[in-house]
Amino acid sequence: MNKNESQYSKKNNSKKDVTGDDIFQMKSITKRFGGLKALNDISFNLKKNEITGLIGPNGAGKSTLFNVATSIYKPDSGKIFLMGENITGKRPHQICWMGISRTFQLAKTFLSMTALENVLVGAIYGHKPRARNVRQHAMEVLELVGLETKSDIITSQMTLSDRRLLEVARALVSQPFIMLLDEPMAGLNPSEIKKMLHVIEKAHKERNVSILWVEHKVEAIFSLCNRIIVLEYGQKIAEGKPEEIAQNNNVIEAYLGKPSS
Amino acid sequence: MSYFPSLAVFFQIIINGTFLGTMYGVAAIGLSLIFGCMQVLFIAQGTMMILAAYSVFWLVYFMSIDPLISILIIIPVFLVLGWIMYKGMFQRVSQAGPSSTLLLAFGLMVFMESMMLFIWSPNIRSVKTSYSTSAFQIGDITISVSRLIVTVVAGIATCLVYLFLKKTMTGKAIRGVSEDRVTGMLLGINPNRVSAITFAIGIAMAGVAGVATCLIYPFDPYFGFLFSLKALIAIAFGGLGSVGGALLGGIILGILESLSSYTISPGWADAIAYAAFILVLIFRPQGLLGKAADKV
Repeated sequence: MNKNESQYSKKNNSKKDVTGDDIFQMKSITKRFGGLKALNDISFNLKKNEITGLIGPNGAGKSTLFNVATSIYKPDSGKIFLMGENITGKRPHQICWMGISRTFQLAKTFLSMTALENVLVGAIYGHKPRARNVRQHAMEVLELVGLETKSDIITSQMTLSDRRLLEVARALVSQPFIMLLDEPMAGLNPSEIKKMLHVIEKAHKERNVSILWVEHKVEAIFSLCNRIIVLEYGQKIAEGKPEEIAQNNNVIEAYLGKPSS
Repeated sequence: MSYFPSLAVFFQIIINGTFLGTMYGVAAIGLSLIFGCMQVLFIAQGTMMILAAYSVFWLVYFMSIDPLISILIIIPVFLVLGWIMYKGMFQRVSQAGPSSTLLLAFGLMVFMESMMLFIWSPNIRSVKTSYSTSAFQIGDITISVSRLIVTVVAGIATCLVYLFLKKTMTGKAIRGVSEDRVTGMLLGINPNRVSAITFAIGIAMAGVAGVATCLIYPFDPYFGFLFSLKALIAIAFGGLGSVGGALLGGIILGILESLSSYTISPGWADAIAYAAFILVLIFRPQGLLGKAADKV
């Protein structure tokens, strides 16, 4: 890990855009769909080894933000930096090689393949230069998420919860700096949520990965996140520590509506 | 004149249909792979087959190379040709959407037909070999040696493609991108590279099917479009997205054609095949063998 950290600091020193621990920055990102501004002048930083929550009502622009961060969408204006390097306009697979991986709300594992094959694809294609001992890497991440005994099951036959965990494993195996989690708890029951929370915490600690996490289960996100960003109608309406966000009037209004005086 | 065949004749029809259908199936595998991976309906697939058939014709005519040996030349040449076609044309045009790629494929088909007319004239050609007319008997059933060879070659090509997709990491990447392009990209798979490989394999399969065709049938430059349609029907029967399904769909089509030519009349064979195609599309759009799409 020390080696990794020296790599961070080397890059940090060489580029002016990075200040301190910020490894990912969005600067004034705007994304329009027709007349609708899905993202309006969004700026934020992700710090090394932090878990950042991203919350907001439906349609606030959370998914759009993920799609812009992974270059599925090109922003209309603004820039994105990873480790100080401008990654705006790179192609999605290059973004993955550079160290951003993500999971999907709909748990998009490859359904015709086994759990291990899914992770192997991520291990082989997700990292440049190609890692050695990909199979070992793959088994390690499967173990981390607790799927090591289910590695040979075709994923179309797995439960939603297991497929979500598999997505986390597949995202981790490309050795990312940042992992984007898109509602990993949606549709899970309380015991599965507990397991997922545990896995996210473990992944964060053991893999030194920063996490940006979209979630509707607010209790879950408040329990793990160092910082929370709140979006509404494509705008950032609040950012801060969980306890600050819980007190923030804008946020309360966005979720509960304006108090009728 | 229509009547029901005796058992021996029935088996003979099934075997002939299987031989015929294997060619459709091999062409269909290429079409299905290309469509699955990049949503391109490569309507020029049959014309590529005919191009391969003419190439074999020349190899036999000028260099006296046996058609079966010529497969070893056709496959690598068509792999490279497919790669170039994707990199040079389809990669660029696919950004403009599926209707543009369909038009491009159609244009390519007409272009190649015209070139072949120019080079080889509209006369019907055929490839003759020492074993063209040899056959052997099992009971009352006659089996043509060249058809048997063709079927075996097609079977081997199918197995190789199947194993490639199933066992190699590149194959898994192709399956991944076919299943979900965006997810594949976000896992670090370069979609253009995977598409180029898939296109190359698809065109090589057209090459194999073309070699098979010229051993059995006379052909002219316009034959290709008919084979493209037959390959489409085979995919509709077998269900999109599986190698085995495409081959089996081709064989079903071949048997259907030879059965209806015998029991009704050869003139009706095509009409019946297309009618079955339409019925399958209406009532079982996932194919006779395909599973119903998962409802989300």
